Amino acid sequence: MANLQGAIARQNTYDAIVIGSGISGGWAAKELTGRGLRTLVLERGRNVEHGDYPTAFTENWEVEGRNRSSLDVIARQLKQSRAGYTTLPASAHWFADDIDNPYSEEKRFDWMRGYHVGGRSITWGRQSYRFNELDFEANVREGIAVDWPIRYDDLAPWYDYTEKFAGISGSLEGLPQLPDGNFLPPMEMNCLERDVKKRVAIAMGGRPIIIGRVANLTQPHMGRASCQYRNRCIRGCPYGAYFSSNAATLPAAVATGNLTLRPFSIATEIIYDTNESRASGVRIIDAQTGEAIDFFAKVIFSCASAVASTFILLNSKSERFPTGMGNDSGELGHNLMDHHFKVGAAGISEDFADKYFRGQRANGIYVPRFRNISKESTRSDYVRGFGFQGGASRLDWARGIKEFAAFGAKFKADMIAPGPWRFGIGAWGECLPYHENKLSLNSELRDKWGQPTVSFSCEWKANEYAMRRDMKASAVEMLEAAGLKSVTPFDDVSAPGMCIHEMGTARMGKDPKTSVLNKWNQIHAVPNVFVTDGACMTSGSCVNPSLTYMALTARACDHAVNELNRKNL
Amino acid sequence: MTTEMSMIMTRREVLKRAALMLGAALSPRIFSHSLQAAAQVSPNQAKARFLPAELHKIAGAFSERILPRTSTPGATDAGVGDFIDIMYGKYLSVEERKLLDDGLSELDAASRNLHRAGFASLPGVDQDAMIMRLATESKDREKSFLAQIRELVIVGYFTSEIVGKTVLGYDPVPGRFDPCIPLSETGNVLWNR
Repeated sequence: MANLQGAIARQNTYDAIVIGSGISGGWAAKELTGRGLRTLVLERGRNVEHGDYPTAFTENWEVEGRNRSSLDVIARQLKQSRAGYTTLPASAHWFADDIDNPYSEEKRFDWMRGYHVGGRSITWGRQSYRFNELDFEANVREGIAVDWPIRYDDLAPWYDYTEKFAGISGSLEGLPQLPDGNFLPPMEMNCLERDVKKRVAIAMGGRPIIIGRVANLTQPHMGRASCQYRNRCIRGCPYGAYFSSNAATLPAAVATGNLTLRPFSIATEIIYDTNESRASGVRIIDAQTGEAIDFFAKVIFSCASAVASTFILLNSKSERFPTGMGNDSGELGHNLMDHHFKVGAAGISEDFADKYFRGQRANGIYVPRFRNISKESTRSDYVRGFGFQGGASRLDWARGIKEFAAFGAKFKADMIAPGPWRFGIGAWGECLPYHENKLSLNSELRDKWGQPTVSFSCEWKANEYAMRRDMKASAVEMLEAAGLKSVTPFDDVSAPGMCIHEMGTARMGKDPKTSVLNKWNQIHAVPNVFVTDGACMTSGSCVNPSLTYMALTARACDHAVNELNRKNL
Repeated sequence: MTTEMSMIMTRREVLKRAALMLGAALSPRIFSHSLQAAAQVSPNQAKARFLPAELHKIAGAFSERILPRTSTPGATDAGVGDFIDIMYGKYLSVEERKLLDDGLSELDAASRNLHRAGFASLPGVDQDAMIMRLATESKDREKSFLAQIRELVIVGYFTSEIVGKTVLGYDPVPGRFDPCIPLSETGNVLWNR
């Protein structure tokens, strides 16, 4: 019996285990296998090979419901459908079943999950910006939360490293608030965007509007093809033309020969070895058989996504860690953040009536943060800042729905022709880390596999609301200054979670008494466990976080391997 | 003409030809061919699967007034009636179905009251007048029948195959992005998306 158990244990023993195969997990897989570690990647969902994208070429008329999901789909994805676009027919299969995977909310939290190999690296928005120097200093300068244990200069070489592999297209701008990276050629702005850019620069004292920095390739890159300008990225790209685990990092890991990928593996806890004072492995439930299986490794990377990684830690209870692995500080589960958005403005232009574009650009324009970045731009009503994403397009036939008195031959002809140009921008704003914004483990509500679930208690507070007022006002001001007509603001419900940039809950920090992770993303008290997904974030900035997860993951993997080689782990 | 200039000219022509092959420019010959194909499939003459037959007929007639056949396909050609039927059966909520049921029935009742004939059998000019009246009545109502059926008709039309491929610009794999070009080069029509 002992021999058999020993044999199974040896069979289940690897050099490294990675929990999750999304943006962070894919990078951990690539880096660890690339440095020679036999690496097991545990993914809770089904396998998705690159190219397994069933809706990649689906046309509108090939979907029965056209622009609507069926009632059955919505019934199983009530919470996933809150984002408005996730459960449309083209992408519903990339989001979790809310009935099998329930969660609870003391306050509304829209938790969008991608439970399959590749995770949300298939459906992400692909906007890729570096944090800036201010982002890393903001907490300590303002006396908020805790200080990051790293600075921009620590991460810069890893931004370089990950950008070069991933392939980010963008323009060099020399803006301190939005550090330049290693870019493939930028995509181009259309007629109205160029015009608005010029006018805003003149009217708003040089305020820059730039083309988005996006993880879509503008030329072939490392065996992946250039973007074909279909703008159907959310469905998965058979050309591999945007960065995903499936198209980029996982194939690189496979090529090393060191990767074992195990789908349908739900990590329930990280196993703590009291005698050795270290983690020994990961316990999973096989999603198909319900069987509990233990896997063992010297080093464990939790890259399950922010909420999931923290949940696994909370569920990893032992005598040493009665409230969850690494929770000596009591901060595990706390300081939950997201970006708040869905506020901005749009306006019409009568110019360029005889101009159009060809190709559907999978990118927009970006207005880098211009508030609280200097003495002159310091606000009295809020701290931190926001950026705008948006762009110009010609209004299409959807505008005709509300024109009640318009119908018939002329109406049809008008709707077939491109409508007037419209330029719109929406702001993405930073949320402060508040201790009270948290997630916790709920043993009363169980999922399909009998596991406890997540309960959220998170809300925007005064700083966010004050910022939103300025987001709206400054959008209107900018568009009017650009000469656009009928400038109309919008300010729609933006519940925490909806932006799908959930961050925090296992924050990095200098002091084990007030943080969960150290400067290398190691749990202070369990140095052979690394957390490099959104959970590690000590503050959230206003820029899309995925590029930062890539950089942090690659940096932490490098440290992990070096430590293993130095026999420190 | 320098060699470079002649090469540039040739490339532009190649691009134009490629665009035409993808159906980006509508020509009458292409349309009449697809009209024939549409007639064979006989959209909208198919039996209603979910809507009561009478309401299906009214919805079809209504759609054709919103987006009639001209030199380009109309709502009937695009199978909008069948689309509304499927939406009614599988995609609309209980409240939305009731709104559609009531709206179509009331329209028909109003027609019989005014013209002693059902809406579907009225001459076009009388149908249009009734739609106009409905437009005036619906103006300030957020969730009106008219808003709902207009959305179904317009979405059903513009997401249909015949419209996507032969009316709008059909370019499924552009391969490149031309950010600012004359509208005339794209056939003066919206891109199918």
